[in-house]
Amino acid sequence: MNARAYLRIARNSASTIASYRASFVMGSLGVLCQLVALAALWSALLSRGVSLAGFSLAQMKGYLFIGFATGVLATAHRESRFASRITDGTVALDLVKPLQYRGMRFAETLGGFAPELVMIGLVLGGYLLLAGPVAAPAQLGLLVLSVLLVLPIKFLIIYTSTLACFWTSSYHGIAWARSAVTAILSGALVPLALLPGPLRAVAHWTPFSSITSTPGLIYAGQARGAHALVLIATQLAWAVLLWVFAGWVWRRAVRRLAVVGG
Amino acid sequence: MSMRYLTLYRRCLGAHLRAVLEYQADFCILVVAGIVTQCLGLVFLGTVFTRIPSLHGWRLPELVLLYALVGLTQAAVTLFSDGIWFLNHALHTGEFDYRLVRPYPPVLQMMSTQIGFSGVGDLLASLALLVWALLHLHLHLSPLRAAACLVLAASAVVTRIAIVVAANASAFWIGSPSPTFATAVHSIGELSRYPLSIYGLGLRLFITVVLPFGFAGFLPASWILGRTDGYARLGLLSPAVALLTAGLAYALFQRGLRRYESAGH
Repeated sequence: MNARAYLRIARNSASTIASYRASFVMGSLGVLCQLVALAALWSALLSRGVSLAGFSLAQMKGYLFIGFATGVLATAHRESRFASRITDGTVALDLVKPLQYRGMRFAETLGGFAPELVMIGLVLGGYLLLAGPVAAPAQLGLLVLSVLLVLPIKFLIIYTSTLACFWTSSYHGIAWARSAVTAILSGALVPLALLPGPLRAVAHWTPFSSITSTPGLIYAGQARGAHALVLIATQLAWAVLLWVFAGWVWRRAVRRLAVVGG
Repeated sequence: MSMRYLTLYRRCLGAHLRAVLEYQADFCILVVAGIVTQCLGLVFLGTVFTRIPSLHGWRLPELVLLYALVGLTQAAVTLFSDGIWFLNHALHTGEFDYRLVRPYPPVLQMMSTQIGFSGVGDLLASLALLVWALLHLHLHLSPLRAAACLVLAASAVVTRIAIVVAANASAFWIGSPSPTFATAVHSIGELSRYPLSIYGLGLRLFITVVLPFGFAGFLPASWILGRTDGYARLGLLSPAVALLTAGLAYALFQRGLRRYESAGH
């Protein structure tokens, strides 16, 4: 019964995204351009067979692609829409529905998964053409597993930060600060091994490293076998912990809701 | 006439300034967000350059100056023309109607409806980087040369703003409720934070001719740094490119204006 309701929400979200195909495709082109540029930058840095933090150039290009792909996940349904539900008061209507608020938002995010895969595929094609050669993934099965786990982790971090709108009146600043922190601590900016010690420690003990570093290391073959499985188990643990934490924040946040008029 | 435009622009921004200062927590969050975002590049340069001494002949202080210049253009976009990012929303909801009945060019009205306060953070972080770079570079600046540097930097700002306006004007044709396309274009501007020589010929042409981001960063920075290659000489064209880009952006917006048919409610 409820599963069908959540499924319907996910499908609605997917068709909303699909109705703005043009901007979606052009967005992909912009991202492709950035990714190719990033590959060019690393090609300049790693020329003459230099390797940094154990990455050869071809492996680094694979890592960069994972950084892009995990950056795209859980973003097709824009987070500003979660935030505006709270700032414009729509959240009051969600409270009277016989569904969980967090569950409904997760369904919307999952609805964006298919469009996100399309975008990742399009960009991958262009990337291989323009920035090749790129190393092939070392362990495809484990890679897919860890990339799938990125979805709930990213969703929960984004979702929980939008709940801050119960305390502040605008969301832009929070979104920017969070995405900047995520870029550094997830390993999307540079592989975590290159970061200075204290930052690296913070990255390892927070869920951010599960977003890009884990799938990236598995892709590049730097995390293999047992090491890879430990990293994936860590991702799973973060997903569960963040789910519980999000519930706790929600219970505190919703008490601040004041609805005016009717 | 142009004086009146400028005064009105300042007053529109001022109205928004007072509105935002009502919410001090939001203001602080935005400023911090701006600083953190500018730190991204610093972390990147810092971590990579502890291992690799130069990038295509550019040393760290030179790259930091280039980085600071692009940061300053971004700060200017965010502080002085943030409202343009709401164009798609205004078109989508039909709110744009209001802009058409006021005696002030709609493009200027849109640009001045918002101040992006993360721009304050961008500005502070970029100025800090600029000072650090200048202390390590020992540039010899005569008054004339210093004035020329300021003109080039101002041109970079104008070019950057013009590209943002043009990219957002695409909303007249695309009709998406969020500025995905403009965001994509804007983020390509990040490419001008690094020496263009690292890119392939296609990409180099793309960001000097098609989207002239090169003139909003790398090219004028090459001249400011006293380099003598072809890029630095190209950088001297920055003021002309700024005027041309601004003119094209305005023309594009005006064409889009003719397509607008309100949201029908």
